[in-house]
Amino acid sequence: MKLHQIPLLIILSVILVSIATACSIGDEKTSTVVYGLTLSPSGIDPHLNASSELGIPLASVYDTLVFRDPETGVFVPGLSENWSISPDGLKYTFYLRRDVTFHDGTPFNAHAVKANLDYVMNPDHHSQKALFMLGSLQEVEIIDDFTVALHLVEPFAPLLDSLSDVYLGMASPTALETWGPTEYQFHQVGTGPYRFDEYIPNDKITLSRNPDYAWAPSIYRNSTAKIETIVFHFYEDPSTRAIALESGEVDIVGEILPHDANRFAVSSDFNLYPIPIPGQPMQFFFNTHREPTDDVRVRLALMYAVNRPQAVKTIFDVYSPVAQSPFLASSFDLEPQESFPAYDPDTAAALLDESGWKITGHDNIRSLNGVPLELHIVAPSWGSNPEMAQLIQADWEAIGAHVTLEIAPGFGPLKEAQTNGEYHAIGINFFGTDPDLLRSFYTSTGLYNWSGFEDPELDQLLNRASQIPLDLESRLTLYEEFSSRVREEALVLPIRNYVNLVVVSNRIEGLHFSAQGWYPILIDLQMAP
Amino acid sequence: MVSNSDRPSNGALATVSRRVIEGVLTAWAAVSLTFFALRLIAGDPVASLLSQGLASPDQVENLRRSLGLDAPLLIQYLKFLSGLFRGDLGTSLYTSRPVGTVIAEQLPATAQLALTGLGFALLIGLTLGVISAWKEETSLGQFAASTAGLATALPVAFTGILGLILYRQILGVMPILGHDVVRRLILPASLLGFASAGAIARVVQASLKETMKGPYILAARARGIGHGFRLLWHALRPALPPVVSLTALEAAFLFAGTVVTETVFSRPGLGRLLVTSILQGDYPIAQGLVALAAMFYTTSHMLADILAFTIDPRLRRVT
Repeated sequence: MKLHQIPLLIILSVILVSIATACSIGDEKTSTVVYGLTLSPSGIDPHLNASSELGIPLASVYDTLVFRDPETGVFVPGLSENWSISPDGLKYTFYLRRDVTFHDGTPFNAHAVKANLDYVMNPDHHSQKALFMLGSLQEVEIIDDFTVALHLVEPFAPLLDSLSDVYLGMASPTALETWGPTEYQFHQVGTGPYRFDEYIPNDKITLSRNPDYAWAPSIYRNSTAKIETIVFHFYEDPSTRAIALESGEVDIVGEILPHDANRFAVSSDFNLYPIPIPGQPMQFFFNTHREPTDDVRVRLALMYAVNRPQAVKTIFDVYSPVAQSPFLASSFDLEPQESFPAYDPDTAAALLDESGWKITGHDNIRSLNGVPLELHIVAPSWGSNPEMAQLIQADWEAIGAHVTLEIAPGFGPLKEAQTNGEYHAIGINFFGTDPDLLRSFYTSTGLYNWSGFEDPELDQLLNRASQIPLDLESRLTLYEEFSSRVREEALVLPIRNYVNLVVVSNRIEGLHFSAQGWYPILIDLQMAP
Repeated sequence: MVSNSDRPSNGALATVSRRVIEGVLTAWAAVSLTFFALRLIAGDPVASLLSQGLASPDQVENLRRSLGLDAPLLIQYLKFLSGLFRGDLGTSLYTSRPVGTVIAEQLPATAQLALTGLGFALLIGLTLGVISAWKEETSLGQFAASTAGLATALPVAFTGILGLILYRQILGVMPILGHDVVRRLILPASLLGFASAGAIARVVQASLKETMKGPYILAARARGIGHGFRLLWHALRPALPPVVSLTALEAAFLFAGTVVTETVFSRPGLGRLLVTSILQGDYPIAQGLVALAAMFYTTSHMLADILAFTIDPRLRRVT
C-alpha cells in the first residue's frame, strides 16, 4: 500500500465504522410516545436530587402516600388509605394499603416507608431537596406492618404536601439497599403505573407500562396505563423544540418559546397547553439595605414606574398573566383585593420628588444631595429574566434613574452577586404548591431573604402559618395578611405568573398535569383513535 | 549530521520528549487555572447544589461540611492535585459518582461525533482545497474557494438549526441510512466537519500552490506529466505536513465544537456534560473534563509531529 493512501483510508473507514455503529440504534414502535425534556439533570434520584425536570418521568414511576387534586388542592388517598394528624401537629399516622407491590416484587408496607425516609435523612446521602421538605421530622415509627407514624419536633404544616410530591415517592427498599445512593438513580423501582427501564445520561430515559398496577388514586382517570413505552429525550436548546415537534421526532415537549407557541395554537396537527406552575411569580426583590431602595417611597415609585402588562406581553405574548401577588397556587391563591401598583409614571415621579430625588441638572437624571439616582439590577440568565430586566431598566431610566444591568449566568454567580450586596433589585423565584416556601424568602433568617428586610411582623405571620397543619382557613388568613404587608413595604416587584407552554401532537390525547404543574399524568395518555 | 532515513533520528526523539514535557506542563497549568477560575466565575458550589432546595442556614453548613467544601481553598487544591496524580478525579457533587465513570459514559458519543466530524472535515477540506488550487482560474475553483470561506464563517449554532429544519429533505436524499443515523450522526458530524473544513481547504490550497513551484514539479512537467496528475501525485504529499499540523489543531477545535453540536442536536456527550457541570457548579466534573481535554490536546499535537515526520522524510534531518 502506498503511504499517501493511508490518510484517505483512515478517513473513509472512520466514517463507515461510525455509520455502522449508529445503524444499531433501534427503530420506533407504534405504541411508543416520545417526550421531550428541556434540561438534562445532573442526577435523577428524586430522594437526593432536586431538578423539577426529573418529576416529569418519575412522578409516574412512584406513588406517594397521598396525592393532591390538581383542581381543588385537596389531599386524596394514595399508598396510604387513610391518615390522622395529632391535635398538636407533631404526630402523623398513616394507614397503608395492603395490596401494593413494587415493580421488583418487594411488598409495600410500613418498613418500606421507614426505609425511604431514612434514606432521605441519611446525612451521607447529601439530599438536595427531599430532606428539606420533611421539616423537623425526627423519627419514623413502625406501629404494625401497615401502620406507620411520623414524629416531628415542631409542627410543620406543609408535610402532607411534601409527601404528595415525587421527591418523597416510595421506592423499593430492596433496590435502595442493593444499589445505594450513587447507582440507585439508574435502577429505580417504584409502585407506579410505569416501570423505570433505562437511564442514559444526556441521552434518554425509558419507561414501560406496569401491567400489574391496580391501586390508582382517584386523581387518575385510567386504572392502568395505555401507552406501552415512553421515551424521554433532552432538548436543551429552546429553538430546537418546535423543530423536533414539527419533524415528528417528538410527540410532547414543554417550555416552548412563546413565538413558536403562536404557530402551534392555530395548527390542526398539534394542541397547545399553557400550564400554570404554582409557586412564586417571576419577580425582583428590592434591596432594603442599600440606598436609595432602603426608602419605601423609592421602592413604591420603582413599582409604579414599570409597565408590567406591556412588558409581559412583549416577552411572553398572550400566554402569561401579569402577577398580582407574591404566591399563587390552586389551593392558596393569594391574589389580593387591591392589586400591586399599576403602571403610573406620574405617581412614580411624584413619589421620587417627595423622597427628595429630583431632576436638577439638564441630563434628566435625578439626584439627592448631589448624588445621582443610580440603580443596579441583577438578573438570572434563565427564564427570560435578562429580557425582562432590560425592559425594567428602560422604564426606570424613563423616570430619571441611571440603571445598570448584570446577568448572572448560573445560580452560583447569582448567589455571589447577592452576597456582594451591590444590587438594588435581584431576580429569583421558586416553585411549589405550599406557601410555606415564602418563609425562606421573607423571614429575617431565611436563606433567600434577598430583600434583607427584617420585620418581626412578617416573621411572626410566616412562622405561625407554618405551624398550623389542621386549620387551612387560618393559614389562608395569615398569608393574606402577609401579602398586604409585603405590598405595603414594596419588598418585591412581581412580574408574571409562570406558565409552561406544552405542545402535544394530535396523535395523542388525555394529557393533563398533577397539582405540582410540571408533571404530566402519564397513565392517562392514549393514542388518538 | 548523518542520519538513517528509515529510523527517527535523535532530533526527532528530542522533539518528541520535549513535547511530552511541554504537554505535562500545559495540562497542569490548564487544570490549575480551571480549578481557581471556576470558583471565581461559578461561585459557591453549595449554593448551586441547593438552588432548588429550601434548606435552613444550619442545613447548608452541614452539607458543606459533609462534602468537604468547608476546607480552605488551597487544601482543596492540593487534595485535588494529589488525587489527579493517583488517577482519581474525585466524585460528582450532585450524585457522588466517580468523575472518571461519568466522563467514560459520555466519551464514546463524543468520540464518534468528533471522529466522524474530523473525517468529514478532511474529506470536504481536501476536496475544496485541491479544487481551488487546481482550477484556480475557473468559476469552479472560485466556488470551492468561497465555499471554504463560508465554512469558516458559519457557526454550527446556525448551520445546525438550518440542518434540523431541512433534515426531512436531507433524509430524502439518503433514505437507506434511515432516520436515526442521519439525524443523530451524519447531520451533526457533517456540519461539525464543515465548520472545520474551511481552514483545512485554505491551507491545502496555499501549500499546494507553494509546492507546485518546486523544481521537482518542473522536472515532472519536463517529463510531460499533465497538470492534474502532477498536482495530485507529486505535489499533494509534500504539501501535507502543514495540513497535518493544522488537523491536530482542528481536532481540538472539533472537540470544542461538539459542545454546541451536541446541544443543538440533543446528542449525549462530553460537551453537554461540560456545559451542565459548569452551569450547575459541579466542579469535580468540570475539572476532570479540562484535565482530559488538556491531555487530548497535547497528545494530538505530539501525534501530529510524529505523523509529519512519517509523511515528509525531509523533516527527519532537521533538528
